[in-house]
Order: sequence, then structure tokens, then C-alpha cells
Amino acid sequence: MRPLDPRLLRYAHAARRFLLIGALLGFAQTLVVIAFAWLLTRAITLTVAGEPLSTIMPTLAALAGVVVLRSVLIWLLEVAANRGAAQVKSQLRARVMVKLAERGPDWVASQQSARLSTVVTTGLDALDNYFARYLPQLLLTMIATPILIAVIAWQDLASGLTVIIVIPLIPIFMILIGKVTQSVQQEQWQALQRLSTGFLDVVGGLGTLKIYGRERRQFDRIRSITEEYRTRTMTVLRVSFLSGFVLELAASLSVALIAVSIGLRLIDGALLLGVGLFVLLLAPEAFLPLRQVGAQFHAAADGLAAAEELFAILDDDSIATVPAVSTADAAAGANLGAPVADQLGSAAGSLRLAGFTVRRGDTVVIDQLHAEFSPGELSVLRGVSGVGKSTLVAALLGFVPYVGALTLGGVAVAPGASRPWLAWAGQQPGLVRGTVAENVALGAASAQPATIMQALDWAGAADVAPVTVLGVNGDGLSGGQAQRVAAARAIYRAIATDCHVLILDEPSSALDSEAEAGLLAGLRHLADQGRVVIVVSHRPAVIAAADHVLDLQELIHV
Amino acid sequence: MSDVTSASRNVLRLAQPRPRWFAPGLLAGIGSAVMAVALLACSAWLITAAAEMPSLAILGMAIVGVRAFAIFRSVLRYLERLTSHDAAFRQLAELRLGIFRRIVPVAPAGLASTGRGDLLTRLVRDVDDLQDLPLRVVQPLLVAGVTAGLSVIGIWLIVPMAGLTLLVCLLLAGLLGTVFSGSLTARADRELAPLRGALADEVLEIVLNLDVLTAFDALTPRLAHLARTDERLRLAALRRSVGVGVQSAVVALCAGVATLSALYFGIPALESGGGLLSPELLVPTLVVAVLVPMAVFEVFGMIPLAIGAWRQVRVSARRVADVVPQAVPAEIPVDGVKPQELFSPDHAVGPVVLELTDLGARWPDQVEPAVAGVTLRLAPGDCVHLAGPSGAGKTTLAQTLVRFLDYTGSYRLNGVEARLLAQTEVRRVVGLCEQRPWLFDDSIRQNLLFARDTATDADLEAVLARVGLAEWAAKRGGLDARVGERGVLVSGGQAQRIALARALLADFPVLIVDEPTANVDSAGADALVRDILTAAADAHRAVLLISHTPVPDELVTLRVTLSARR
Repeated sequence: MRPLDPRLLRYAHAARRFLLIGALLGFAQTLVVIAFAWLLTRAITLTVAGEPLSTIMPTLAALAGVVVLRSVLIWLLEVAANRGAAQVKSQLRARVMVKLAERGPDWVASQQSARLSTVVTTGLDALDNYFARYLPQLLLTMIATPILIAVIAWQDLASGLTVIIVIPLIPIFMILIGKVTQSVQQEQWQALQRLSTGFLDVVGGLGTLKIYGRERRQFDRIRSITEEYRTRTMTVLRVSFLSGFVLELAASLSVALIAVSIGLRLIDGALLLGVGLFVLLLAPEAFLPLRQVGAQFHAAADGLAAAEELFAILDDDSIATVPAVSTADAAAGANLGAPVADQLGSAAGSLRLAGFTVRRGDTVVIDQLHAEFSPGELSVLRGVSGVGKSTLVAALLGFVPYVGALTLGGVAVAPGASRPWLAWAGQQPGLVRGTVAENVALGAASAQPATIMQALDWAGAADVAPVTVLGVNGDGLSGGQAQRVAAARAIYRAIATDCHVLILDEPSSALDSEAEAGLLAGLRHLADQGRVVIVVSHRPAVIAAADHVLDLQELIHV
Repeated sequence: MSDVTSASRNVLRLAQPRPRWFAPGLLAGIGSAVMAVALLACSAWLITAAAEMPSLAILGMAIVGVRAFAIFRSVLRYLERLTSHDAAFRQLAELRLGIFRRIVPVAPAGLASTGRGDLLTRLVRDVDDLQDLPLRVVQPLLVAGVTAGLSVIGIWLIVPMAGLTLLVCLLLAGLLGTVFSGSLTARADRELAPLRGALADEVLEIVLNLDVLTAFDALTPRLAHLARTDERLRLAALRRSVGVGVQSAVVALCAGVATLSALYFGIPALESGGGLLSPELLVPTLVVAVLVPMAVFEVFGMIPLAIGAWRQVRVSARRVADVVPQAVPAEIPVDGVKPQELFSPDHAVGPVVLELTDLGARWPDQVEPAVAGVTLRLAPGDCVHLAGPSGAGKTTLAQTLVRFLDYTGSYRLNGVEARLLAQTEVRRVVGLCEQRPWLFDDSIRQNLLFARDTATDADLEAVLARVGLAEWAAKRGGLDARVGERGVLVSGGQAQRIALARALLADFPVLIVDEPTANVDSAGADALVRDILTAAADAHRAVLLISHTPVPDELVTLRVTLSARR
């Protein structure tokens, strides 16, 4: 892992600013450290010379000024680091969200959504430590350490050489130990992972264990997995802690070496006390930032890992997909699409697919599909799982690119950012926080209560009150209710914006037969109004209600 | 720290290792910190004394001291980290067992809102995070406290006033640097935490529902809303940033003041005389008194970190205490003093008739019963399909029948009121295939064996064949195939089949199957229900299938519908 990823500077301008401010503050801090050591040495040498307190007072006053200045600089650096972290996180978050919108739902669905959102939120928060603790020390290592070494060497070449020889040894040893640790860790990693989730397994499965009367036996199991975890982890730690040991040893031994060598030369009279003390005070300061970098490395590593994942998303331009929102000027794009949309909305024609081909990666999922869905009809699309029903729906939505012709009432439908002709409900309800009414009228400029009631009614969800408040991800409804509200959302769009095509993907999988019948009756109304209604399903009741059943498998393999 | 409830305190007590394990790490830590201070003191003394050129013998001792301190400081630090981690890991077993002991009687129904898997994960992570108490809170506080105390005494013996000012500076740094900045941090957290939560919720919602938001042209306004939330969070964080550096600044200031005071009071003492240890104060000794505060404050730097760690540990302890109830809630059954037996413990169980009369049940912390007025009879050979709209209490009924929840009304097994039986006795005869069967991160064999540990591989293969998994298991490498963490390597339908195989192995006289098709795509649902009923049907067994998936008539003996409750 690189200590400072250049992509951080590329993707977040705030990081550049922080580095500049941090470097200036770091430089000022270095000067203050030198001034402190020099003034302290001067106060002591004056004392040795037998000067009274009154003569030394001006030096003490200057020292007090330096002490105050030092704490102010420390404060400023921390403030700058925290501000930098806040700005950078915000900038990275904004970029990633735009990128996600650009890549579209199909790409996002191929990622682990929970992990994605963690990376954007709490994962990014790990950057706090990176900025607050690690980067300032890294800056100081690059600024303060060379300056301090130069000053030491200028005052006393022997001590300077000691530091110059020891300092490079630290990273070398750390890298060597890191390599050893890595191989040990990789050997243990799998076992450790399993053992660390062992407790979760027992607690999570406690209900199951109680059903089988096995709960009492778990005490021994918990003890033995935890004990094994301890033994294995300690084996790893014994090696891991070596890097810290080497750091500390190198720093303190070199201070000791410098102290002894200065002491011996002072006895000879080859060195002045002022120089010796000054160098002794500066030597630990030269090591300090490097030690801090080592100590904070793990805290920073979390933040860097999170940033790394983020950069991977931002850098990934591999597969070109249909953009969900034309990013730079979404508004302009929507305007371009508008005239076509108007024609389609009122056009009463059938939805026709000709030579429709969809690829996912290198595999052809749908090959040369020819199909026609007539207005006023309830069409059911079925096929065994994996045949490509969902892919077909995703392609119609414009989430997956396709080749071939897609026409509605004879007019070509352009794939792209907007789809005013289409209302859809997917397999997952995908409800959001807010009231049921807000969910049903999602995306509409203004909600019409009467239409909302009608949409709920036609979805067989008249029993769900529009004022019901839903939590995050639609919490608060049962699975069946959520599914019907999702169907109502599509129906609302179809009615309110006069969409010509309604596609529902497995809309009754969580419904009992009564609710299913209610939904089918509603869909019949929509078809009767002259819409193309397509339901992906293989439920017997849905197939029985259909005017037209298409078996996707047969269509593809004809 | 006063806001630690007694419940949290009980949890925290479990996390602190016993003294015998904790002491070696603590001693090594104190030793290492004292050596760090001594290294600087000895070096300073050596240089100043050498300038005055006293006897080589004394200087020689100082030289040896400097080298020894430098080496032992690092060695002891390494030992400290090893022994203290070892102690914390040893205690982890005690901690987990202590928590588990409290969870067992109430799980699964009595664990406050742990129905969701992520909260459960959170609980387990919180328990593991409690290890930080000995490692990052108690240990550094004691090490820094003892080292600072020893240093204060040492300086006091040399220059009394310098010792006192060091003490005052340390206390001030401790007070201002931790308590004051602690309240700043707490205020910042109070302001930022809700904003962070709101942001996380919005991000998750957008990511999870990107398809819906895109298809309904609702993405652009959502992103704009998110940007505003982000902006609010950023501005709040910027406002709060002024407070964050105060701590380090105050500590640095106090360190400087301690050094200055040592000079200010020490220089006149060269003539007037020093403390008990140095009635006649010499310059090298004075220099020690001047420089030691710098080293002490470096050790002192552990304290703010420990306070920060304490805040996190406290939160974890509170969350654990919240999830794990102190007492068993009234809705969770507790065994009577002398429970009755249905069957002798040494013998296999026989056929069972289950009778419910006006049965009702309620979840903890709920006012309304989730199910009420259920009357039902299940005899060997019966196969009852229980349907009903969501929210009618189907799952509640299942949980009640295996005594995870207590009941009102009557629930008899072979004529004996279930309340009078031990819960384990009820679960010997009434088995449940849960809606989300839990698969352990192990092989298929282990996931089956715990239902009947005397089963041979042939038994296991036979039962897999009965539930329609023979081919699937063979393709994946037989009984040794792993199911993955939380069964991730297994689909919803296969998990249900494994759960059924488990229940068939245990051979419960009454078997309840709760919504087996809840996590199965509808294409597989009908086949799954049919297979389950075919495999479970037995003249000696009563089966209760709870499902919203239609079931063919020839497979069931009775249909019951639970009506929705308002």
C-alpha cells in the first residue's frame, strides 16, 4: 500500500489544499521545535555558567512564547486535518454517487449493495483517522525529519551521522518484518476468519440449536473456539509486534548512542555542553514523526483501504452501459427525449421487439428475439429461471444495452436516459422512506390523491392506508403489502403520466390468492384502457387470466 | 463516566480480565514507561555531569544505565503488548460465555429487536469490541497514571516546587485535555451522529433502489437531496473542527509550562538547596528535573487515547446491555420448579396429539397479542395447511408452539398442559423448520449431525435423498461440502431442504414448517412445498405447514386460515 495515493489528490481537490497548508504548518512546527531546544539549552548553559535567575529571565520569557506558539501550531494542524477530512469525504462521496448513477442499476446490482453503501458512508469515515493522525505525521516525517537531521549534523557531525544511519534502517526493518508477518498472516487468515465468526454462528443459530436441544453443548464449543482463536492470534501477534519493537528499539538505542558519545566527548573537552544538550534534545524529535507514522499506520490503513475501494469504483470504466442519467446535463437530455415521449404516450400501438439481442459480458442472454405485445391485452411472459426474463426487462428499461429494434406503435424507442412510455415494478418492492402515498407517487411532480387511491385499489392494496409511514427501505409493511404497494406505484405512473406500457416482474410471488385476484382485476382495467400490460410470472392464476402467454424459452430457441 | 448503568457495568465487569492474567502486562507496561522517562533523565544527567568532568566511575554507571534503559524499554514494551493481548483474549472466552449464558434463556424471541441479522452481527461485534476495555482503556490509564505519579515523586524529591508544578500541569492537562475536550467531542457527536445516520440511510436507499429511482425518474431529485444532507454534515463537521485540536494543544501547553516551572524554581534552588534527595542541588540533577517533564508528558499522551477508547467501549457495553435483557420478559416462558415429563428421558418419544384451545401469544414489549383465539387439533398422520394474510400471526404461532413465546389459553400435548412441561421436553416432541433456517458455517454433515449425532453417513445420505438433495449434494462433493458463512453458498430453497432433512433426522412427532417458500423464487416454491409435504408425511407424525403458497389438495388433510387481526 502506498502511503499517499495520488488518486486521492486527483479525485478530491480539498486533499491538495490540506497538503499545502499542512506542509506550511509542519515547517513552522519544525522551526518551533528547534527554537525550543535551543532556548532550553541556552537557559541551562547560562545556569551552568552561574548566572542568576534575573539574567536568565529573558530566555525563559522567549521559551514561554515558543511554548505557546507550539501549542497553537499543534492546534492549527489538527483543525486543518479535520477540515480536510470533512471536505475530502464530501467530495469523494459526491463523485461516487454520480458515478453510481452513471453506471446504472444493472452495474450496481452486480456489486454487493450493502458493501457499496458502507464504503460510501462509514468506510469513508475511516479516512478521519487517516487525515487526523497519519497524514500530518507523514508530512512531518518528510519535512521535520530532514531539517532536524541537518541541524543535528551541522552542530555535531557524529550525532548527525548516527541518526542518518539509523533512520533508513527503520523502514527497511519494517518492510522485512512486514513481509514475514504477511506470510504468517496469510497462513492463519482463513482459520482466524472462521474462528472469529464462530461466536456469531452460535449466537445467530441459537433458535435452531434450542429447537434441537443443543444449546447447553455450546458452552464448551464457545470456549474451545475462543481458545483456539487466542492461540492462533497470539502466534501472529508475536511476529506482528516485532515491527513496533524494532521501531522503538532503533529510536531509543540511537538516542542512547548519541548521549553516550556526547558524554564521552564532553569529558575529553572535544565538545561544548551547549552543543551536546541541544543535539540530545533534537535527536528524539527527529524520530518522533516516523514513530508516529508507524503507530498510526493501522488506523490509517482502514481509511486507505476504504479509499482504495472507492477509487476502484471511480477508476472502473471497463464496461460501457447505458447511462441511467446523462450525467453532465441530465436536464438537457430529458428535453431532447421529450418530443418522442409525447408521441409515444398517446400512440396506441403494440410493443414490438425484432431481432432483440442482449449480451451480458461475453454471453448472449437473449438472441434474436421477435415478439409483439398488443394494446388492450394482458400478456404473460414465462420461462424457467435463468432463461433471461429479468435481463429482458432490464433491457427494456434501458439498464442493459441491447441490439435490435424496439418499436412502440411503429415508432422506434430510443434507449437512454428517459423512458416516459414505460411504467414498471420489479421483483424487489424497492420502497423508500416516507408515506405509502409518497411511494406510490414516486417521481411525479405533484401527487393526485384520487389517483393514488385508484392505483392502490387496482393493485389489490386498498387495505393499505396511504398515510402509513414507512421506515428505511420500506420497513413497516409485510412482504405481500410491500409488493402490492410497488405494483400500485407502477400503476400510478401508468395512469398519471399516461404510460402506454406497464411491465410487472413477478408481482404476486408474495401474495395470497385473494390479493392476487385483486391485482389481476386491476391489471385488466389498465389493459382495457388500451395499454400494453406485460406480467412476468408463472403463477397459475396469472396465466389463467392472461390473453396471451409467451414462453420466453420457446421464443428464444425457435 | 457516571452515566454507566448497572446493566452496562455488569457487562463491563465481564470484559476485565482477572488480576492474575492482567498483572504481567500491566507490570511490563509500567516498567517500559518508567524506563522511557529514565532514559531521558539518565542521558541528560550523563551529558551535564560529563561537562563538569566528575569521576569516570560514576559516568560509567550512567553510560551503562542509558544503554540498559534504551534496550529494556523496548523489550518490556514488546512483552507488555504480548501479555496484555493474551490476557484480553483469555478473557474473551469468559466474556462470550457470560453473554451467551444470559442470552440462552430468552433467545430467540426475547432478544430486543435482534430479528434482523445485522443487529445480531452488531451484538457479536460489540461483545468482541469490549476487549478494548483492558487493552486500550484500563492498561494505558494505569500505566500512564503510575508513571506520572512516580515521576512527580521523583522530581519532588529533587526540587519540591518543580514536582508540585509538574503535578498541577499533569492534572490540568488531564482535566482540560480530557474532560473539557471530552464534552466538546460529545457535543460534536450529538450534532454529527444524527446527520451521519441520515446520510447513511439516504445512501443505502439510493444504492438499493437505484433501479426503481431511475425507472421512475426520481434519481436526480434524490441525489440533490443527498447532496444537501451531505452539505449539512460537512458544514457541521467544519464547525466542530475548531474544537478537536484543543486537547493536543492543551497537553503541549501544559508540558511546556511544567518544563519552564522546573527551570524557574530550580535555578534559585541551586543556591538555596533542593528537596529531600538533594539537599545541595547540583546542576546535573537540576537538568534531570527540567527534562523529565517532557518524557512524562510523552507517556501522558496515552491518556486521551484511552479516554477515546473508553467512550467507544461504553457505547458497546450499553448496546450489549440493551439487547440482552437483565431479566426474562413476561412473554418468554420460564420452566417451573418441577416440570412434568411426557416421555422418559431414556426412551424414544412416541406419537403425540397436539391440542390448542383459544390460544393467544404476545411478543415482548408489545401491548396487543400477535395471535389470539386459535383452536386446533393435530394428531399423528395429520397434515394441516395453515394459511392466512401476512400479519395474522402465523410465525408467532409457530414460535409459541416450540415455547419460544409464552401463551394464554390452552396448549396440550397428549393431554398435558405445555406450561407444566420443561421447554426442552416440549421441543423433544414439537420440531420447527424456521422461516430462515440457520445453517452453521460448516460441512453439510455437521449441519445435519447435530439433529441426531448417532446418525451414520448412510442415514444422512438417505435423508438428503428424501428431501431431494441427493444429486445436489453429490455434485458439490458429498457430505463434506461446506455451506458457507450463514449458508451463503446455499440457495433459499436448498437451505429449506437441509433444514427439513435435519428435522426428519430428529424425527419429531409434531413438525411445524414455517413459510418454507419465503426466500424461494416462485418458480421453485410449488415444487418445494410438494417435496416437503411428501417427505414429511408419516403415519406417526403430525405436520403443520404454514405457507401462503397454494398447496395441492391431495397432500393435506385439513386447511385452516388464520384471519388478520386489527
